[in-house]
Amino acid sequence: MIRDFLRRVAALIKKEFITIWNDPKTKGIIIGMPLMQLLIFSNTSTMEVQNIDTVILDRSKSVESRELISRFEYSPRFRNFYYVDNEEDFKKQFDVQKVQIGLNIPNDFSRKVKSGKGAIVQVVSDGRQTNSAAIGAGYAGQIIAGYSNDLIGNPDTGLNITVRHWFNPNLKYKWYILTIIVSMLSLVTTLILTSLSIARERELGTFDQLIVSPLSSFEILLGKSIPPLCIAMALTMIMTGIIIIFFKIPFVGSVLLFLVSMTISLLAIVGVGLYISAISNTQQQAILSAMTFMMPAVLLSGFISPVEDMPLCLQYLTYLDPVRFFMVLSRGIFLKGMGISDVIANIIPLLVIASITLTLASRTFKRKLG
Amino acid sequence: MKILIALIKKEIKQILRDPSSIIIAFVLPFISIMIYMYGINLDSVKITMGVKNDDNSPEVATLVKSFGHSKYINSINYDNMEDIKTAVLSSKIKGAVVIPNDFSTKLSRGEKADLLVITDGSETNTANYVQSYATTIANQWLSSSRFSRKIKRPVITAESRTWYNPDLNSHYFIVPGSIAITMTLIGILLTSLVVAREWERGTMEALLSTSIKPIHIVLGKYIPYFVLGMMSMAFNVFLCVGIFKIPFRGNYFILFVVSGLFLFTSLGIGLTVSSKLKNQFLSSMVAMSLGFMPALMLSGLMYPINSMPEFFQHLTRIIPPRYYVSFIESEFMAGTIPEIVIANAVFLTILGCLLFIAVYTNTSTRLDGNK
Amino acid sequence: MQTVTIKNLTKNFGSSVAIDNLSLNIEKGKITGLIGADGAGKTTLLRTIIGLLLADSGEIDVLGFNPKTQKDELNLHIGYMPQKFGLYEDLTVIENLRLYADLKGVTHDFDKMLEFTTLAPFQDRLAGALSGGMKQKLGLACTLLGNPEFLLLDEPSVGVDPISRRDLMKMVREMINPETTVLWSTAYLDEAHSFDTAVVIDKGKVIYEGKPHDLASTPQEFENKVIDLMGGYNKEESLIAKNYDYKAPDVELTVEADNLEKRYGNFYAVKNNTFKIRKGEIFGLLGPNGAGKSTSFKMMCGLAKPTSGTARIMGTDIIRHPAKARSNLGYMAQKFSLYGSLTVRQNLNFFALVYGISILKRKEKVDEIIEVFGLKEYEKCPADELPLGLKQRLSMAAALIHNPPVLFLDEPTSGVDVLTRRDFWNHITSLAKKGVTILVTTHFMDEAEYCDRISLFYKGQTVAVGTPKELKQKAGANDMETAFINLIKESEVK
Repeated sequence: MIRDFLRRVAALIKKEFITIWNDPKTKGIIIGMPLMQLLIFSNTSTMEVQNIDTVILDRSKSVESRELISRFEYSPRFRNFYYVDNEEDFKKQFDVQKVQIGLNIPNDFSRKVKSGKGAIVQVVSDGRQTNSAAIGAGYAGQIIAGYSNDLIGNPDTGLNITVRHWFNPNLKYKWYILTIIVSMLSLVTTLILTSLSIARERELGTFDQLIVSPLSSFEILLGKSIPPLCIAMALTMIMTGIIIIFFKIPFVGSVLLFLVSMTISLLAIVGVGLYISAISNTQQQAILSAMTFMMPAVLLSGFISPVEDMPLCLQYLTYLDPVRFFMVLSRGIFLKGMGISDVIANIIPLLVIASITLTLASRTFKRKLG
Repeated sequence: MKILIALIKKEIKQILRDPSSIIIAFVLPFISIMIYMYGINLDSVKITMGVKNDDNSPEVATLVKSFGHSKYINSINYDNMEDIKTAVLSSKIKGAVVIPNDFSTKLSRGEKADLLVITDGSETNTANYVQSYATTIANQWLSSSRFSRKIKRPVITAESRTWYNPDLNSHYFIVPGSIAITMTLIGILLTSLVVAREWERGTMEALLSTSIKPIHIVLGKYIPYFVLGMMSMAFNVFLCVGIFKIPFRGNYFILFVVSGLFLFTSLGIGLTVSSKLKNQFLSSMVAMSLGFMPALMLSGLMYPINSMPEFFQHLTRIIPPRYYVSFIESEFMAGTIPEIVIANAVFLTILGCLLFIAVYTNTSTRLDGNK
Repeated sequence: MQTVTIKNLTKNFGSSVAIDNLSLNIEKGKITGLIGADGAGKTTLLRTIIGLLLADSGEIDVLGFNPKTQKDELNLHIGYMPQKFGLYEDLTVIENLRLYADLKGVTHDFDKMLEFTTLAPFQDRLAGALSGGMKQKLGLACTLLGNPEFLLLDEPSVGVDPISRRDLMKMVREMINPETTVLWSTAYLDEAHSFDTAVVIDKGKVIYEGKPHDLASTPQEFENKVIDLMGGYNKEESLIAKNYDYKAPDVELTVEADNLEKRYGNFYAVKNNTFKIRKGEIFGLLGPNGAGKSTSFKMMCGLAKPTSGTARIMGTDIIRHPAKARSNLGYMAQKFSLYGSLTVRQNLNFFALVYGISILKRKEKVDEIIEVFGLKEYEKCPADELPLGLKQRLSMAAALIHNPPVLFLDEPTSGVDVLTRRDFWNHITSLAKKGVTILVTTHFMDEAEYCDRISLFYKGQTVAVGTPKELKQKAGANDMETAFINLIKESEVK
């Protein structure tokens, strides 16, 4: 009895693998596309704003203003400087997006600095360009404050604020974003793989043949969920390996916990994908429904802005979002070494999501028969 | 011409009969914009953080209070570091401020007082917020406290201005950005399926045996999805400007012309992939990887292109959303700026034409792909 | 006057030869039948003639055009109906007609066409919801639009019932003018016998070209002659039946349909369908397309849920214990439904395992079945790339692999060449002799003669049940086809 069961499930799993592995194109795309994206996005996703282009309107033309400007010129973050002598040109440089930052030094600058009355330098940033302009303005502020401090001599009063970034001492954005990119790429691949799997068999007519065979719904479910889970797991592990080896991101957590939580996270996504697939009649419906699920799921996962900051009703909604827990777990174990009790707290909702979606999917196999 | 009209009519009927294309064109943008408006907030993120105070002086108590009163912070008091560690580990708090027991003593003596700020570095975004909130609050407290006399005022202060978005409302650029995402999705994902579907279902062979020309097939796909895309665009703009009152300073005519050009390039990507691969599963996978994800990650919407390594900066030049994002943000927030409109429109036109040629050369009227 | 002149045509796909140095003339104003074994190169030839495929070498002239360089001009003058006609299933009947009319630049005057096809009452129905025969009629109607000078039909009558088959033939004959040339690829030799010319091809070469009546005077004889041309059929002991190893069932009535009913709103797709099949019996389910055969079939094997009633296989209720009931069942679907991207062997391996053949025995079993069904040279070929007839063989092989005591075969011989059809039936009858119960549907009326009992199905209800002999007597006919048509008409009158 149990041997028959295993044999049937194994046959189905093998078949699913062959359909993917037989075709070099399919294999290449499933493995190659995410890796290519990892390679590109890992290089391009940076919040360490660099190569800032700046426009400078120096009305003061004094020793002090030159000194301030030269501090900008020596900063590695700033690239090109455009010097203008009127407000109109100053604005023009912004309008055509030539610069992200502008410095407007008034003509009383030197006088006020000398008298110690407090000079003002206007730092203009381009509000059309995400938060990079704001970050750039922050750097500019730091340079100005540094110059100011040098002028008055190091203050020996005030606060000596020490910032300690736990789990990421230099607060490298890459550490954070790479764990997210890996999760995102696994999410997209798994979702496409599963959401099309049943819909495609239905469109091509092969699903009937499966239903007529002695395979039970549960066996079909296993056969349909294990292969994408394995592929997604393998892909996640390859990508995790790459970011550990090539990007030198320290993995501090427990490998076992990581494996277990990734498996369960991906299982929940497999469940969602299969459920979408089971209720879709065509591949188009399946892939578009998958997107309709994915967009809000990613937006509400806490990756763009923290869950605690959302309106209460949306916060409750995120309990249905496997991506939320997926991201907490992958980052938490990878970078923070999250302990078992925290891991369990995040795994439970995923298990609930997985069991509900998988049950619904397997029930829908049959209900769709008409 | 008659052939083309017949094909377009057919395609439109197919679109109308399948609710999924309507969902992606109208329902998904609505959900996305709702989430951007109400679920996502990049301006004044509220953060939960811990405060551990080892200094019992009454002045310091007001510092602790000002953490509690800040509308950006939800503060929790802790007595020992162990608890803070556990709370950060479980993401209960995103960081903490530790005030040492000699804090007020040092300040009264006119010395520098130490203040420790801890952040959860695994989430760099929130870590930055923790750092800046804590620093700002502490400095504000200091300047209004009795210790402030002992501090020298800075001789130069930077006055920040943000042009085009003086209120610093992040919705003003996120929501136009979401239009770019929706347009990419319709342009690329939907069309990546439609040619492949005709091959998979066998309808292509019957079409090819008529005197149909490749240009008919190509335009027969471009035109209906272009119309659908532009309708979705109009709906998006209506939602943004009409319902959610995002300020629009540009010109609607120009907005729609350049959006049309962008849609033309997106359709080109989807149709190239679809006619090349002839398989819905593979083309949707490739369309996501080559079309949708780069639109998010490489368009300048999430990460500044200037800060990327040089090679990748050049790479973004072949990504149509790059030009569109630059255009739409500017058109919404700064109004029509001829240089920006023209530069982006020219690049979109060039890319669109190249992709059109790619679609055309991949469309054959024979089964084995010969011309 | 020649419509098509082909000289020394060769077409290869990779290393396999599809058309081998073929020369052929097709006369204007005549109907030419194209006959050949599965994989003989019929479809490739048709596709090459109209320029859908390019030949590797040789010359083709079609209506004075070169399909290689003048495909567009040529296609204005032809009507081509591919094997799997490209109807848009999400468009209605009338929308499909309008689309093809516009593509061919002809007026929207469909009254005559709709009347001929009897599709008029269904013109607003989605093409995907039509029965198999209706789809073929609609496909043919789309092909005939614009009165093309040259019609190429690739097995238009596959899966079509005898009445609709006559309708199709009538449609073609009446809608064309004497100048029209028709090239008609078919597996029905009675059909081919009625044509002006017959061309038999084998392994990419023409092996006979001439008037069918020169070869034989009756359709039956013609069939035998064609079989001889194709290498002859030697009835051998069925290896499948010989090696078929299964436990003889202890129930006598192995398949029972108990008042099966399927209702959609007020419409009965199947109405109180009751029958019992004994062990070792071949029970044929005949009826026109859309009569409810496939629905009955699907309910019998649990693919569709009956509105009321139930079915039992080896005494096991299909609704209550589907998995147990199905393990006794071999099922061959009407539409090819094996995995296209898997090779022949991989497909068989998969079904062997799913149906519980142990891993040790599997290789032996799969080898054997590949051998018996003549799939040896295709075993590494992806199923999608097989010609239609070989796909059917593979489906049959997959249905038989676990030696089930009950076999459900839904149009097993549709699109299969005449030699293989005989071979199929040799296996089916030998299996029945061993005690296997077989429920089969077919549109070949000569095949109905092999059945022990036949149930004639029309408009969702059983019209007549009995042995072929009884039915013929009842209808007062000499052959099954006439009996079928008479009995259907009779019930129509009632």
